[in-house]
Amino acid sequence: MIEIKHLRKEFDDNTVPLNDVNLVINRGDVIAVIGPSGTGKSTLLRCINMLTEPTSGNIIVDGEDITERGCNLNEVRKKMGMVFQSFNLFGHLTVIENIMNPQITLLGKSRQEAYDRAMELLSSVGLSSKVFNYPDELSGGQQQRIAIARTLAMDPEIILFDEPTSALDPSMIGEVQSVIKLLAKSGRTMMIVTHEMDFARKVANRVLFMDEGGIYEEGTPKEIFEHPKREKTRRFIQRLSSLSYRIQGIDFDIEAMNEELQGYGEKLLIESERLSKLSLAIEEICINTIADYSENPDIIVKVEYSEKKDILSLIITYKGPYFDVRDTDSELFKELLSEPTTSYSEKTVDDPDGFVNRIDMSFKWVEE
Amino acid sequence: MKRIAVLIVLFLSLVAVMPLFADDVTKQSIESFDGKPIGVQTAVLYEELIADRVPNTTFQYYTMPNDMILALQSKKISAYLIEQVGFGVQKANHPELETLDELPGYIDATMIVGNNSKQDTLLAQLNEFIALCRADGTADEMYDYWINNFDPETSTCDTTGFSGENGILSVAVEGGYEPFSFVSNGSLSGYDIDFICRFSRAYGYTPVFYEVPFESIAPGVETGKYDIGMNIVVSEERNETGTLTDVYYSCPVVLVVLGEQKSELSFFQQISNSFYKTFIRENRWKLFLQGAGVTVLITLVSILAGTGIGFAVFMFIRRGGKIPNGITDFFLWLIHGMPTVLLLMILYYIVFGSSRLGGMWVSAVGFSLMFACSMIDMLRVGYNAIGRGQFEASTALGYSDTLRFFKIILPQAARHFLPIYRNEVVTLIKETSVVGYIAVLDLTKISDLVRSRTYEAFFPLILTAIMYFVIETIMTYIVKRIDISIDPRRRSQADILKGIKEWE
Repeated sequence: MIEIKHLRKEFDDNTVPLNDVNLVINRGDVIAVIGPSGTGKSTLLRCINMLTEPTSGNIIVDGEDITERGCNLNEVRKKMGMVFQSFNLFGHLTVIENIMNPQITLLGKSRQEAYDRAMELLSSVGLSSKVFNYPDELSGGQQQRIAIARTLAMDPEIILFDEPTSALDPSMIGEVQSVIKLLAKSGRTMMIVTHEMDFARKVANRVLFMDEGGIYEEGTPKEIFEHPKREKTRRFIQRLSSLSYRIQGIDFDIEAMNEELQGYGEKLLIESERLSKLSLAIEEICINTIADYSENPDIIVKVEYSEKKDILSLIITYKGPYFDVRDTDSELFKELLSEPTTSYSEKTVDDPDGFVNRIDMSFKWVEE
Repeated sequence: MKRIAVLIVLFLSLVAVMPLFADDVTKQSIESFDGKPIGVQTAVLYEELIADRVPNTTFQYYTMPNDMILALQSKKISAYLIEQVGFGVQKANHPELETLDELPGYIDATMIVGNNSKQDTLLAQLNEFIALCRADGTADEMYDYWINNFDPETSTCDTTGFSGENGILSVAVEGGYEPFSFVSNGSLSGYDIDFICRFSRAYGYTPVFYEVPFESIAPGVETGKYDIGMNIVVSEERNETGTLTDVYYSCPVVLVVLGEQKSELSFFQQISNSFYKTFIRENRWKLFLQGAGVTVLITLVSILAGTGIGFAVFMFIRRGGKIPNGITDFFLWLIHGMPTVLLLMILYYIVFGSSRLGGMWVSAVGFSLMFACSMIDMLRVGYNAIGRGQFEASTALGYSDTLRFFKIILPQAARHFLPIYRNEVVTLIKETSVVGYIAVLDLTKISDLVRSRTYEAFFPLILTAIMYFVIETIMTYIVKRIDISIDPRRRSQADILKGIKEWE
């Protein structure tokens, strides 16, 4: 139904949110678009109805290339509904007119037809009592439901949702999401840019994860949310953040590392005691044991924190002979290992670069 | 013999000194006014006669001769300069005025001839006619009639009998300057009018008179707008333009001071007398109505045309093209940055200088332009106040550019600019009061003319102010009604759902 080929968008400030996007949208698809901010999700959506003009590439809608000059965009746009983050209801019109007027002006319907359709839609979004209200008299959630009704009144072939719940109070997100879910069930083609992962997972049959100027990974909700194949997707889904260091001798600047960890912890709101434990573990394992006893120590340390699971984990891989790091004189480290919130495991892995020994530790947090 | 000589000398000096004691006001020397403010009419240049004798005096310039009486009475000036003939009329109405015995000098009045194709012929004919009048005594006869024996109530001249075989003469006169040009019984009269009428009859012209403030006569004639400008006082600078006729009359200039106040009339009598003079005599209320009509007409035309032009230009520039916006900004800067009077005079004398477009239509053009500029500004303000979301939502629905503008943007923008529009209308009405500068008889100019005849300030000024208030109130009321009628929030539910059957 819609085919996007080699779409590229470059803004005036030389940022390139979309580098080379290729996508086919089929009738009946409900596509959720997720990804970190600034990766061009909204830009992609706005290119589809040419609210944002792409720099190059083609968008073919029902066989017609809408990026061509001379294409009647107004006709194309009538086939595509759009729901905005900030609702954008017409401020000088009542609720009923917001839904009626575009039908009369653009579709040539009679006032009576437009009214009947509007009333039907109003009751389907549960707002029949707000006929004569003006947009600024309604809550955000109500306004967004009216905006959806206004879009539906045009009988579009596809509806584009641009972060429809981002501007709403948490208490109103639900009412809008349930309207969208109902639409999805009725078999409408939709494309939804959203930050609400659970919502994306429930409503969509295709999920696009966007990063690096394009569609980074695509799959069913199950594939993307449960078994993401690629690193960035996995990190985004689990909301992971990580730091890594390479230690090649006992002269490693542990002070600098600690300082960086401190900042990292502050940013992600990790308890400082938990960070001290982590830092103690790194020092004991890497500096005092491995680096001290190896001739040519080469250790990679990776610190990860999953916001979603609230687990701080430490992955250490090193070259050369195996050390039993738990066999140590440090009482503090022994005590740390014995705590129930700390887990420890070690294994040997195949690694082409020779980092064959791997230690996994994780630190949970329990409020006392 | 010696005694007698001493007595004679004593007697003579007493004779010389006695009047000084009796009426010391008129015996003051001109030099004694040094450093005190002295009034003079704008552009008549009388101040040059005494400037070197009162080096520290600041001259105060007045457009209308009679305003100087009010200034003198309210002590804004200590004395003022005026030609003796003009003083004669003033004295008749204000007995308390006196003149210094010492004469500041004489003025020679000439006419200035328009810088157009008729210039050379007219100059020759006028000089010939002046010489003729001097020779056959017509000049003296006119001087006696209009100046020595002038009676403001009855003196009149024949303004008929023109053959017009040699075309029309457009003549600029002051209009509020007794006894040279003034409005009597609703039409122009005076020495200048009489002179031109006689000339026109003799040389086969039909004169058309324009009432123009003194300072605008010379520029208007120099640009060719008028064929002849009357009552130009000779000065070296003016001679440089080289289009002046010979002197057609000369008369003494006097310095007027305030003498003893002598009024036998009671307060109430003064009021009713003044009311009678201002409105009833010569049906002057008709003049006021006429002036108000002109003001309303100029305002209405300017509002309608200005709104239309402003809207049309805005439609053209609203998509933000650099070149059309640049040109528009330049014109806005040019027109908004100029004092209204200057804009009108530039239009009247330069832009439309060679056309015969009347002052009223030139004013309408000028004010339409000014209002159009304000309109463009207002539309821009209103347009920019509309959030991007409204543009995007309507575009995404499939509204074309034009539909979007009229159905979505304009109704919302109007709410933002209509209150400013109301203020602009009031400003416009007030601004129109300067059209007198280009010979339009609007409310303010009429009030000036009446004041120049009645020597009264109170009633003409107050009434004029009241009439402006009435006009402003009516106009803003109309705009307010429009504002309310297009306010979407004031519609009833029945209006909103017009044509829909069966809504609860």
